[in-house]
Amino acid sequence: MFQIFLVFFLWDTIFANSQRIVFGYDRQKMLTYIFGLIIVRALVLSSKANEVGGDISRGDIINLLLKPISYVKYWLTRDLSSKGINLIFAVFETILLYFILRPDFFLQGNILLLLSFATSIVLAILIYFLLLFTIGLVPFWVPESAWGISFLMLVVVEFLSGALFPLDILPVSVQSIINFTPFPYLLFFPLQIYLGKVGTLIMLRGIGVSFLWLGVLWLLMRSVWFKGLKSYQAYGR
Amino acid sequence: MEDRKEVQNLKLRIKYFGFSLVIGTFRAVSKFSFKFENIKELVSRCYYYFKIWLLMSKNSFIVMLEQKKLFFLFLLGKVLRFGFFILFLVFLVKGTENLAGYNSNQVIFFFLTFNLVDIVSQFLFREVYRFRPLLVSGDFDLVMTKPMNALFRVLMGGADVIDFITIPPLLIVLAIVGGGLNPNFFQIFSYLIFIINSLMIAAAFHILVLAFGIITLEIDHVIWIYRDLTNLGRFPVDIYRQPIQGILTYLIPVGIMMTFPVKAMLGLISSWGILFSFSLGILMVILSIKLWNRALKSYTSASS
Repeated sequence: MFQIFLVFFLWDTIFANSQRIVFGYDRQKMLTYIFGLIIVRALVLSSKANEVGGDISRGDIINLLLKPISYVKYWLTRDLSSKGINLIFAVFETILLYFILRPDFFLQGNILLLLSFATSIVLAILIYFLLLFTIGLVPFWVPESAWGISFLMLVVVEFLSGALFPLDILPVSVQSIINFTPFPYLLFFPLQIYLGKVGTLIMLRGIGVSFLWLGVLWLLMRSVWFKGLKSYQAYGR
Repeated sequence: MEDRKEVQNLKLRIKYFGFSLVIGTFRAVSKFSFKFENIKELVSRCYYYFKIWLLMSKNSFIVMLEQKKLFFLFLLGKVLRFGFFILFLVFLVKGTENLAGYNSNQVIFFFLTFNLVDIVSQFLFREVYRFRPLLVSGDFDLVMTKPMNALFRVLMGGADVIDFITIPPLLIVLAIVGGGLNPNFFQIFSYLIFIINSLMIAAAFHILVLAFGIITLEIDHVIWIYRDLTNLGRFPVDIYRQPIQGILTYLIPVGIMMTFPVKAMLGLISSWGILFSFSLGILMVILSIKLWNRALKSYTSASS
């Protein structure tokens, strides 16, 4: 919540003149981006899959491997249920902040854009889950790295997903490099669709790239998972 | 017209609060009388604790360096986070021309100063994050039976090697960016004194967290609230609207900790501001130690 305060007032100062347009945003759209982040973050970035690494390094994974359930689906279910709880808090937080800060909101009325926004959110949830899950498998080989690798991942996601600032404040060359990674499709791209800042072609291309990343990460996760299982010895258990 | 009156009233109230604070600090300080013949003993005590701190820091460094991969990942994460944020600031101020009246060099200097205070206080007071296990296991009893101050042990007993490594490059960058602001000798001196004051306030906050921990066993969440609050000082507090700006400056002194050192360097702090800041710093340390002593009396050594 404090971070939202920081980001809100930062942009509030920049847009002190309400007619000003900076980085292609007017005051209303920028503040909608900041507030939209609360909800989209709760849906996408609140995840339980960051505990997979600890589960493996502590050896707790064996308890689930012995049960007749899929380990991946188990974590996906936990992930989705935690998002539900976080969404409730996020909505409460947004309402509270709205009454404290009284920002101008941009409400998107285009049904097609809203449907595309919802699709991009679903894709972002799955991409983030696969990213965290795959990274969480590293402790199969380096057990002590569980905590450190999660921290590194959070740092990268925080900046490259647009969680702190919209990525289009960066130079175009930097943006085009970032667009090759899965990170902007987690927060920045869905919010761009909601704000109507992308044309139909770019929107379809973005959704296509998200699907592509989903496939790549799914294959990568499966490959790392099976290799990890083969190397896992469950010592000390 | 009425708005102007309200602002004037608010300013008067703040001044009255500040004046009371300065008087209160003088009263509190006057109770701590030093005898000049005891100065030699004081110096030898300081040296004794410095040796203990070196020993405890060495042990803490060895423990951390034992896990080289983890150490590398955390170091990389911290460097990346710092680098990303600097990049963001550069592009932000480039696109907006200024932020709350400050140019890009000044905004970056604000951020670097925030990092200096944050990293040095984490380097010194990292042990606070490990206080809860000591309390709930009852191992805190063992700390209290040792021939040293228990507060010193739980506050400064585990310096963080990652923060230690990041301090020298940060100081170099600070010197380069700060040099570009063309400060005179007095401004640099004020900046350094204000940094010491910021570290005193940070120490007071950490002592308050420890005292609160003894009373309630709640530490982890409180320390993260403190971290979140101080993070509001990444930018000058001038970006916040009133009354939030006033609260962040005078009530939760994030502004005094993070913004005032740079303002002093830029020559933007009045003598009243200097007096108020240092009074608050000293008073917070005294009050936090008093609260710690009171909390110790309520420690029941449960589970040991």
